Amino acid sequence: MSMDLAVEQEFEPVILALACNWCSYAGADLAGISRCQYPANVRIIRVMCSGMVHPNLVIEALTKGADGVVMCGCHPGDCHYQEGNLKAERRAEAITLMLGDFGIEEERFKLAWVSASEGPQFAKLMTEFTEQIKRLGPSPYKS
Amino acid sequence: MAARLAEEWFAICGGCEVTILDIGEPLLDLLEKVQIVHMPVLMDHKLYGQTGEKAEMEIPEAEVGLISGGIRSDEHKLLAQEMRRKCKTLIALGSCACHGGIPALANLYSTQEMLTKVYRESVTTDKNGFPHEEIPALTDRVYAISEVVKVDMSLPGCPTTPEMVGGALTALLEGRPFTLSTKSVCDECPTIREKKATSTLKRRLEGPTFTPGAPLNQMRCLMEQGFLCNGPATRSGCGGSEGTPRCIRAYMPCEGCFGPISEKANPMVDMMGALSTIGLDPKQIPDRAATFNRFSGAGRLRPAPKR
Repeated sequence: MSMDLAVEQEFEPVILALACNWCSYAGADLAGISRCQYPANVRIIRVMCSGMVHPNLVIEALTKGADGVVMCGCHPGDCHYQEGNLKAERRAEAITLMLGDFGIEEERFKLAWVSASEGPQFAKLMTEFTEQIKRLGPSPYKS
Repeated sequence: MAARLAEEWFAICGGCEVTILDIGEPLLDLLEKVQIVHMPVLMDHKLYGQTGEKAEMEIPEAEVGLISGGIRSDEHKLLAQEMRRKCKTLIALGSCACHGGIPALANLYSTQEMLTKVYRESVTTDKNGFPHEEIPALTDRVYAISEVVKVDMSLPGCPTTPEMVGGALTALLEGRPFTLSTKSVCDECPTIREKKATSTLKRRLEGPTFTPGAPLNQMRCLMEQGFLCNGPATRSGCGGSEGTPRCIRAYMPCEGCFGPISEKANPMVDMMGALSTIGLDPKQIPDRAATFNRFSGAGRLRPAPKR
């Protein structure tokens, strides 16, 4: 990179969190009301269930502007729809496989379980993931 | 006055031309309404004039233009442009013309890699130089016709169905609209679906479980039986007026020859999603990009990124 950049701005990644309505979004809510601090890079999209997140959504996000995607669902056994999160887990496996085909680092995608009572854990997860993406740098799809 | 029809074939096997012949009896009625002015597979109409006197390739003016096959060489590109100039309505015939088809699987490799493999590295081939004399240069990859010139109508399928070709041509000549189905093969498949795989992935030659002679709506979905079926990510329409998709009728999983349902779709992502959702192991697919883009490689398949 050129050295004449006077002020090197720190890279601020765009991170998409797909949080399930019943556990993870409530967990994010709890993080908010508990005043847990986590980076503002995270944009949360509430989905009814992690099992409804089609691989297309994740791939499209990563190829059209997001630097990282976290998919959050209820802990196994806690799913509001019985086994939506297990479906999400199977899909996450397929997504991880396909990231390489699109030339995207596997570390840019993460599946995590966050329950409604895990506000601080949600904040910690988002902080750690944001740092991981900052270390990776911008998505290869950003020119 | 009979409508003039011009046909040109590019990177293709010729199966779609056979499909035209396969229209059967309706073809006799159709032939009364058209006058074929250019069709290399049928007639000796030379591109540079009958004695080679012209300097540029020329295709006669026509109301209807049919192109089968994808674009693989500079010659194909020029001919496609010439067809576009001379034909009022241009139809992409077959999956090769619509989405690249089987030849577009070569898009997984660069042209140089492909040539090296074919002319130098293949064990059954004597090491030779690359052919270069008196043949048109290859394009950097296989293109669908619509990537090079505007196409007015697409008739996918490998080969496309006689009913569809006949129907589309008749509709065009009578001035009626013709549209493709916007549903997936699964939407028209009568088999029983329970959204759960009953087995791990199987090889196709293991054969599905079904009662011979029993109606198809008593057979379990082939994908749920463990056979890779491209139905979820493939446009329906191959069944024609009968509805039931062609391959399913023969107790075979869908090959995906009609290509994706929308131009923007990525069949690989759709299929990986579909099969992992019902509980099949996505890691077991040996070559997912080629398997799920078998007929739609133009614009979708590209050499793997170098790290």
